[in-house]
Amino acid sequence: MSDDETPDQGRDPAAGFAIPAGLLATIEAALNQYIALDPEGARAFAPTYGHIICIDIEGLGARLTLIPGPDRVQVFGAYDATPDCLIRGAPLALLRMMTAGRKQSQLSSGAVRIEGDAAVAQALSDALAGLDVDWEEQLARVLGDPIANQIGRAVRAAGDWGGRTRETARANLKEYLEEESRLLPTRYEVDEFLRQVDTLRDDVERLAARIARLAAHADAERGSLR
Amino acid sequence: MAEQETTHFGYQQVPVEEKAVRVREVFDSVASRYDLMNDLMSLGIHRLWKRHAIALAGVRRGQRVLDLASGTGDLAARFAGIVGPTGQVVMSDINEAMLSRGRERQLDQGRVGNLNYALANAERLPFVGEHFDCVTIGFGLRNVTHKEWAIAEMYRVLRPGGRALILEFSHPTSKAFSRVYDLYSFNVLPILGRLVTNDAESYRYLAESIRMHPDQESLRTMMEGAGFERCTYFNLTGGVVAIHRGYKL
Repeated sequence: MSDDETPDQGRDPAAGFAIPAGLLATIEAALNQYIALDPEGARAFAPTYGHIICIDIEGLGARLTLIPGPDRVQVFGAYDATPDCLIRGAPLALLRMMTAGRKQSQLSSGAVRIEGDAAVAQALSDALAGLDVDWEEQLARVLGDPIANQIGRAVRAAGDWGGRTRETARANLKEYLEEESRLLPTRYEVDEFLRQVDTLRDDVERLAARIARLAAHADAERGSLR
Repeated sequence: MAEQETTHFGYQQVPVEEKAVRVREVFDSVASRYDLMNDLMSLGIHRLWKRHAIALAGVRRGQRVLDLASGTGDLAARFAGIVGPTGQVVMSDINEAMLSRGRERQLDQGRVGNLNYALANAERLPFVGEHFDCVTIGFGLRNVTHKEWAIAEMYRVLRPGGRALILEFSHPTSKAFSRVYDLYSFNVLPILGRLVTNDAESYRYLAESIRMHPDQESLRTMMEGAGFERCTYFNLTGGVVAIHRGYKL
């Protein structure tokens, strides 16, 4: 028996397409280069060393197997051994879980499911989310400290300017829509409207309760007259 | 006068006891630029073939792995990362220059603790029986004089339930592709060898030894003959390379 090109070890036949080996090698290289940019953060992967972590990407039907180790995270498609933990989810849900500080919402909503050793999955996603690359430091290695510092300052200034511009544009648009074109209500009008809705809802509930009480009272009186 | 027993060395017939010496000369000659040549010859695809082999080996942390004909240790390095500090990987090669090169490379890359080194002939392994969970040989079996002895030794040192993997050049499955491959092997490879290692002959031997190596089915039969069960093989790149896998059950 032979299999051409695609070792299908351990792969669920329903799992869909196998990620090409060249792409897996590229993902592995890129992931390890990224991790290497934050040597402090890389230490957080230690609890996952040697664990076989399978990621089932639903929708795409693809499977990734990660095996972190002290010198690199190895990335395979199918790996011919039972995984220590299996993480299933849609691509965006997986990405959010892997990169967000708070995983609970993804897990409790059922968007991501974990089978096996959940502590390993948690350690992996914590380590990935905890990576904090100092781009200025990386730039300094190539260009030297003075130039990297200047570029860093320019980028921060551009970021600040972008933030201020965004905030001004938001305020201008808000004022135009609320005050000039009167297309949208102001916040005070909305608050007042919501307060009136609350009052009306309470009034209606009180009225309903009163009607129910009177109806019950009327039924009781009719009963006593018979 | 008794007729001398011979074996093939590429397309030549040489006395049996001479093959190991001549293979050693080939690898002594190419050891210093072995990695570079592998990349040039295979256009880097050898890394993908090795990845397939690792995935098929399915090694877990804490296991013991023997990597024969380890060379500069591409497979062993990956295994060492997987088995972790509670496991063990033995890098083994018959060629001292290659093993020294591999050892230096692993040390330079900070891999210590779970990696051991053994200068050993795959035909007579210096290990007790039923010791390893996985035994691999990558691009080495075709250089072994008595392949069936090496396969029997792989079987002997494996624990029950263990698996052996043979990653080796093989025979393309398509005739048209086979012709292109021959053209490349016998014309381009020796030129690359001359340019990079100043040794065209070693690379001519490489091309010839691949043609003399048993085809996929023959090698599978050899594994079954040694006692392996559930033997199967996986053709890669149209059969240029095949990974054979068998279990000791």
